[in-house]
Amino acid sequence: MNLREVLHIIGALLMWTAGAMLPSVVLAGRDGLVVPWLGAVLVTAVIGVALWRLTPREVAINLREGVAIVGLGWIAVVLAGSLPFLMTGTTPRVAAAVFESISGFTTTGATVFPVIEELPRSILLWRSITHWLGGMGIIVLGVAILPLLGMGGAQLFRAEAPGIPSERLRPRIASTARLLWVVYALLTAALAVLYLLLGMDLFEAVNHAMSCLATGGFSTRTASIGAYSPAIQWVTVVFMIMAGTNFTLHYRLFSGRWQAWFRDEEWRWFVGSMAVAWVAVYLSRGLGEGVWGAQALREAVFNVTAVHSTTGFATADFAVWHGFAQVVLLGLMFMGAMGGSTGGGFKTVRVGVVVKHVAGEIQKVLHPQAVVVTKLGGRPVRPDVLHTVLAFLALYVVTHGLGTLAIAAMGHDLITSLSAALAAMSSIGPGLGEVGPAGNYGHLHSSSLTVLSVLMLLGRLEFYTLLVLLVPGTWVRSSRQGR
Amino acid sequence: MHIIVVGAGEVGYHVAERLSSQQHDVVVVDVEAGRLDYVANHLDVAIVEGSGTSTGVLEEAGIRKAGLLLAVTNVDEVNLVSCMSARDVGGLVKVARVSNPDFYRDARNLKSGTFGVDVLINPERELALETTRLLESTAATDIAVFAGGAVQLLGFVVPEGAPIAGRTLVQLAAEVGHRPILLVALERGGTTIIPSGNTEISVGDHLYVAVRADEVGHSLGLLGYEQAHLRRVMITGGSIEAYYLARLLPEHRVQTTLLVGDRHRAQELAEQLDKVLVLHGDATDVELLELEGVGGADGFVALTESDETNILSSLVAKQAGVRRVITLVNKRDYIPLARHIGLDAAVSPRVSAANAILRSVRSGSVIRVATFEGSDAEAISFEVSPDSPVVGRPLANAGFPEEAIVAAIIRGPSVIVPRGDDTLEAGDTAIVFALPGALEAVSELFPS
Repeated sequence: MNLREVLHIIGALLMWTAGAMLPSVVLAGRDGLVVPWLGAVLVTAVIGVALWRLTPREVAINLREGVAIVGLGWIAVVLAGSLPFLMTGTTPRVAAAVFESISGFTTTGATVFPVIEELPRSILLWRSITHWLGGMGIIVLGVAILPLLGMGGAQLFRAEAPGIPSERLRPRIASTARLLWVVYALLTAALAVLYLLLGMDLFEAVNHAMSCLATGGFSTRTASIGAYSPAIQWVTVVFMIMAGTNFTLHYRLFSGRWQAWFRDEEWRWFVGSMAVAWVAVYLSRGLGEGVWGAQALREAVFNVTAVHSTTGFATADFAVWHGFAQVVLLGLMFMGAMGGSTGGGFKTVRVGVVVKHVAGEIQKVLHPQAVVVTKLGGRPVRPDVLHTVLAFLALYVVTHGLGTLAIAAMGHDLITSLSAALAAMSSIGPGLGEVGPAGNYGHLHSSSLTVLSVLMLLGRLEFYTLLVLLVPGTWVRSSRQGR
Repeated sequence: MHIIVVGAGEVGYHVAERLSSQQHDVVVVDVEAGRLDYVANHLDVAIVEGSGTSTGVLEEAGIRKAGLLLAVTNVDEVNLVSCMSARDVGGLVKVARVSNPDFYRDARNLKSGTFGVDVLINPERELALETTRLLESTAATDIAVFAGGAVQLLGFVVPEGAPIAGRTLVQLAAEVGHRPILLVALERGGTTIIPSGNTEISVGDHLYVAVRADEVGHSLGLLGYEQAHLRRVMITGGSIEAYYLARLLPEHRVQTTLLVGDRHRAQELAEQLDKVLVLHGDATDVELLELEGVGGADGFVALTESDETNILSSLVAKQAGVRRVITLVNKRDYIPLARHIGLDAAVSPRVSAANAILRSVRSGSVIRVATFEGSDAEAISFEVSPDSPVVGRPLANAGFPEEAIVAAIIRGPSVIVPRGDDTLEAGDTAIVFALPGALEAVSELFPS
């Protein structure tokens, strides 16, 4: 790996991050926080410019550099993103600031702040912006806009984009990334306009639109979307489903293929499992708690959608719902959104592949001579892809187990530890127990927050990108190839 | 008509033989001299050695005066390019044989534009379709369809205890109250006759019956068979025919198992097919067939490349109690044999292909629609022109020779299985079943 070239790109990413802070600086005037905000921008920009200037210009990005750029780049950006929280004094705890920043960029939406309305507006906007940048991917944005990434773009894209690699929209990766960002930006703008029409003010509309399309979960209210009208909640349900959908499908839809969603096998699973969960949760609350009616239905649909799409908005405290409903939600937390969406989790597509593979194995027991092929959308899944998925499942389960163990060691109960670890890895936000929608993560010990921060990053970058940084071989300096 | 047949393989040979016997001028083109010699020694046709894709070779074969180009080699690409080379010849109907599922799926593209193909023939798919119909018709030994499936011509062997056995159709009609089926031909002791209403039918007769598709179940009852529901079918073989059949059956909600001998091919088919259980194993492995519950299947179709394997595995299936066993048989001599040893029906790629191709051959107003293995009778479709002497006269005295019978009349959207007092009208299409001796007399009744 050529570390200097990696640092060069990271310098560019930090300059970007500094630029992304500027809208908050504008708002900081009213909060009286201009000086700390300028400080955060300046520190980030200076480090960025220094890295950019002090490292070579001609960039040869190969596989190792690509992975390192995504892994180290994310670490650099989330650390820079925590500066505003610290410098404006929103929180004095470093672990809390880093947690909030990572929760933002990974679109988790878990917060350490108990009362959101007390936060300065510049900080609220920054939280939403971190969501929005992290949703489609900061590196993907880099690939889309910075031509200098050139040849290595494809590796970067793959290292950051979630799910099983799907087909490209355009032959060139930069054009593909650009198209995805355009779709993303248009959908965000559309939702902001809808929110405005339905009675939100401009600031709230923009914040929630960014948070929703990124499947984030940060709100400007403590009560989250629950503070708004039923109409706003229903619109949010629709857009959460869209945010949890592979954005490639949206592009297809916009270019005139109106059946694009329904034709996609993974989308049918995603929406199908969502519908089953709506009914299951509504019935379990009705039969188990005697809660029926329009509000109960809306709560069931909204919160199931919020969890399945990994957005993590909430309109009710589902941590006190009937046990069956909670288990359903826990299952959805694991499953997560579609590959190629802004959502997190194990991904619906992987669940589908694993289920089909297991069905095939059962078939083989009954028919020893059977030739079984796992298929996705009518096409066979290549054996190497299948192995990656199975290895990913093992990583997910083991990591979740270790995470649960670490949090339980800090004295939290089983449900809290289990759900907090899962909510972090799957980028949901609220979990169950102490960290349910009514609670927050502020009271957790710094070491717990650090564990959850690591889990969030691992989940968002789907393990491998971060784990390879721990492998010594990654850091071996490769011979300079004149590409 | 001057007809060029590109490809002297199984299909090409058989088609050339049929066409030549129908008094057409046939030129067979092939790259292999050996095969051409065989054709020249056995058939009354001209031969040209060379590639059917070359314009020069086609010119030599007389493409300028030809009315029909049949590109039927076993290489799809050659057939398509051959049609393309002849694209600019006016008045020429170009028929291409296409077996590859990928090509066949794009049939519309191949027909319009660049390739200039007029008719696409897919013999393997035709055979699969025929097999599906045979499976569903419970008892038929042969099957041919007209008017897009609205009329079926079914072959049956009259079983012990059939209501029809020992009676004539006239007697039966008196009991049932109406003429139930149209018996177009009867094969007894190796000879085919066109029966009248007074011919007595006996057990063991091989009948050819014309029925409307919606009345198949009813006529089966008269013939002593029950229509049974098809739920589970086992296919052996990794052939293209097997691929098409394994695609068709699940569409009819039939649970399908496909047993393929070659591991690589099994993997390939498992990737291409949905809702089909693909197994790797030998088609004659009795233990495996039993493990997979062959006895509980409603149908068994043997489609491997080897006749012997097919017959053997079919016998195993029949022994295990499968109700419908259909066997692919290439060798002509084996077909009566297969029936004799108790297999229900045999299909032949050669006959399927020839039927599909002959259906596309129009000579004046005549289209030959089907031939039947083991019988010299032929089904021919005629368009009735206003000057035909049969127009407006009851069929019973319209002047048809005794060795020919009108099996069906297609009038616009409706289909009639006629009786003696029905009449033909101008614009109808008549499906006539005739023995070779009557062909000429029938043709005179339908001037173009």
